[in-house]
Amino acid sequence: MSTDAELRKGSAETLVLALLDERDRHGYELAKLIERRSDGALAFHVASLYPTLYRLERRGLIHGRWVERAGARRRRFYRLTPDGRRTLEAQRRSWKVFFTALNRVAKFRHA
Amino acid sequence: MRDFRALVRARLGPLPLDPAREAEIVDELAQHAADHFEELVAGGMSEDEALASALRPLDGSGRAAAEIARADRARRSTPAPPPAPRGFIVADVWRDARYAVRLLRRAPGFTAAAVVTLALGIGANAAIFSVVNAVLLRPLPYADPSRLVVVGGRGVDNRAGNLGYLTFVDWRARAHAFDELALIRSWNPTLLGGEGPERIAAMRVSANFFALLGVAPVVGRDFRAGEDTPATRRVVVLSDRLWQRRFHGDPRILGRSIDLSDGAYIVVGVMPRLFPPLVSEHFYQAAELWAPVGYDATQAFACRNCQHLKALGRLKRGVTIAAAERDVGDIQAALGREHPADYASESGVVVVPLADELAGAVRAPLLVLMGAVVFVLVIACANVANLLLARLAARERDLALRAALGASVGRMVRQLLIESAIVAASGAALGVAAAAAVVPLLAHLTPVPIPRLGDARVDVAVLAFAAAVTAATTMGFGLLPAIRAARFRPLASLAGSGRSSGAAPNAAARRLLIAAEIAIAIALAAGAGLMIKSVGRLLGVDPGFDPDHVLTLQLSMIGPQYARNETVVAKGDEILARLRTIAGVDSAALAGQIPLGGNRDAWGFHVEGRRWTADDPSVERYSVTPDYFRAMRIPLRRGRLIADADRANTAFVMVLGDRTARALWPNEDPIGRRVRIGGTDGAWFTIVGIAGDVRHDALAEPPTLQMYTAQAQLTDSFLTVVLRTSGDPAAIAHDARQAIASAAADVPVYQVAPLRDLVEKSAGARRFLMVLLELFSGVAVLMTAVGVYGVVSYSVAERTREIGIRAALGASRADVVRLVLGRGLALVAAGAAAGVVLAALTTRFLQQSLYGVSATDAPTFAGVVTILLAVAAAAHLVPIARATRVDPTVALRQE
Repeated sequence: MSTDAELRKGSAETLVLALLDERDRHGYELAKLIERRSDGALAFHVASLYPTLYRLERRGLIHGRWVERAGARRRRFYRLTPDGRRTLEAQRRSWKVFFTALNRVAKFRHA
Repeated sequence: MRDFRALVRARLGPLPLDPAREAEIVDELAQHAADHFEELVAGGMSEDEALASALRPLDGSGRAAAEIARADRARRSTPAPPPAPRGFIVADVWRDARYAVRLLRRAPGFTAAAVVTLALGIGANAAIFSVVNAVLLRPLPYADPSRLVVVGGRGVDNRAGNLGYLTFVDWRARAHAFDELALIRSWNPTLLGGEGPERIAAMRVSANFFALLGVAPVVGRDFRAGEDTPATRRVVVLSDRLWQRRFHGDPRILGRSIDLSDGAYIVVGVMPRLFPPLVSEHFYQAAELWAPVGYDATQAFACRNCQHLKALGRLKRGVTIAAAERDVGDIQAALGREHPADYASESGVVVVPLADELAGAVRAPLLVLMGAVVFVLVIACANVANLLLARLAARERDLALRAALGASVGRMVRQLLIESAIVAASGAALGVAAAAAVVPLLAHLTPVPIPRLGDARVDVAVLAFAAAVTAATTMGFGLLPAIRAARFRPLASLAGSGRSSGAAPNAAARRLLIAAEIAIAIALAAGAGLMIKSVGRLLGVDPGFDPDHVLTLQLSMIGPQYARNETVVAKGDEILARLRTIAGVDSAALAGQIPLGGNRDAWGFHVEGRRWTADDPSVERYSVTPDYFRAMRIPLRRGRLIADADRANTAFVMVLGDRTARALWPNEDPIGRRVRIGGTDGAWFTIVGIAGDVRHDALAEPPTLQMYTAQAQLTDSFLTVVLRTSGDPAAIAHDARQAIASAAADVPVYQVAPLRDLVEKSAGARRFLMVLLELFSGVAVLMTAVGVYGVVSYSVAERTREIGIRAALGASRADVVRLVLGRGLALVAAGAAAGVVLAALTTRFLQQSLYGVSATDAPTFAGVVTILLAVAAAAHLVPIARATRVDPTVALRQE
């Protein structure tokens, strides 16, 4: 797998974990939120979002369950597990190190 | 309402998942599509457009399905690690174990290789240990066996020698160190009546023999002290085997009289079925019959230095071996002063634990074998550790993730160790099962009887040993990977490509293991090589006779009908006459003892005209008929051989062995000189000739002092028939038995064997050791080859990119070969150097079993190193072929 794909996959996982850190959400909501908060720069659709979710779930980082509410459709909500929360922390640190380093070298921000 | 489920289903195509999971996924995606659709419609889009938009991501070539299936199915190829520790450690370990089993099942190739490797190592250890346990460690099956000892004059190798009856009587009367002192001697009576004459392996014992061992007859009674006299000694105790075989277990046997060759005996008891006749088996043959020694001081053969008896003792509680030795030593010193003519001037006494005496000859070879299998196991561990390290490299990302998930280092180490333990336990189970099947067969495979080998079993002790070995093994091969894992830097591994981070130190560990394997394999192979050379040298030894085309049969002419020597001689001549008529028999002779026949008979040798002392030499005596030298092809050096004309009524003659002549007459010709043998008051024997020396006791033993007398003049009753044949000696065995039976129906014939077999048997113990060492070193070399192959091919795979770049920059095939071989052979050379040192340190434990070769024989070492280098080089071939085929473009694209 190319580094680019790896990076994108890694970042998608971090995004999903970060959003679930706020509260439990279902797949469609996650897709909408990512699109909205990134001003459309990051877009997930059915074929790319769900593989990510399933991958995270089988690693035990998130946990999905079906929820039925009166008058609403049955939806699958995902919740961050304790393992997921720890991974998110590690990834946040990792990304931070990465960005700081990148910034120092490439000077993205104006001083 | 649209059926989004059906719409999604149609676009996804089949998912290779189980139906329930598939339905769930379709449900969830349909939900997503429906939400999207509704939102688009709510935003003002037409329904048709909205539907197309919502479903578009799922269109086209089933890529979505493949992605989803891969993401979801991945849970099968790498199971989720168990949740972080919580609750009891037992539950944690159980969870880790289940996880480990799942992981191992996902890698059947690795698992099978590791389990089989360990099974070989642990199985070999269990098998040899079960022998060591039965033969060396398990206490003797007698009461309080640690107090049982053998007492005797200090002989070769500090073993207890024989003693005369009167000496024993004084020891027993004066010694304070023993609860009991008992006497034994060999006995080979012929049982008459019933199913024809049968020679029985038996033993004459003092009346307290069974009491000393702490066993009692199960039927009837033990001997009484009063029965141990010449007048009352004709009572016997039977073994269970003999009782069943000849008397059908009849309990009325008690009090019955049975006919032995030297008269009638009353049966007074039967020993238990499980009474092991270890003492007789060790010194003579496994006894089936016991009778009292029944000597008294008046008998000629009961003299002080008529050394044909052995003494056993039971130490008093709390008395040490050293104290007992001092006790008897003091007594013997006093006897020497009291009877200076009867004892040699330097006659030390030695007390040896019975267990040590029984195990003495096999202890060193067995410990060598034990060491060899431990070596094999170490190599097996190194190989499995190598496999684990290779696997660890591939699993670094997995471990990094787990570390990131918060798994502690301790937990990961535990996980790896549990994985190792499961592999080791599986290997152990397989190995021990194999050992359990093989061990009972070992007793049939040894050419020489090893006391108690028949009792070797995979029992509780062996299982405990195997468990300990397995635990040690787990540490041995699991610890290194676990330590590597503990040093693991997760972030580096996650950020990098996973391979570069841990590869270098890991590779170093693996290379070190391989060097160690090569070193150990060389030590093992050196042991095997030395044994091969020893056996070769041994079989190449000139025994002094020609063992090919010779058949030997033993017979005994004893009993009242053979009480007179003339009868024995006449019957012997008659038997030989019949045997000579058999087609294919070139010559036929009788001898009291034959070389390698397992018997010896040394007589005191007193030269006429010299002062006779108790220190006069003992010379082995063989009574033979004239044709013996021709049949055995023993050459005449000088003078003449024994002739038909040498009869009981002519002057007694003697032929000396070459060495005897030179040792006792260093500067003169002994022919014509006269000697007395045995006592100093017998007949004079005139030396008439000198014959070549023979190796009588063993091929490995140099010729002893030897003399031949004429069977017609000094008549033996236990005889060996020697037939030189023109064809295969075994082919005429039946005819020979027939001929003897037709001449003497009352003479039992036993131990019929080609002489060549006796020669082979004499090398048997060494050959057995050689074969096992060959086997173990073969396994070791093979495992090492596999290990070298694994490491080299792994390093080639790892350096594909480097090789590719070099190839792209114009490196030739030869350069690539040099690159791969250079690093590999440096490793092999380091291992070989260490191996030579290890071999030099370890082969000296073989010393006792070597023959004609030094423990650090340079040609053997060189040969072994050459073989190992060749094998290691061969293990490079496939990886080198792979390296030279590296396509630069492919290699560079790989990263």
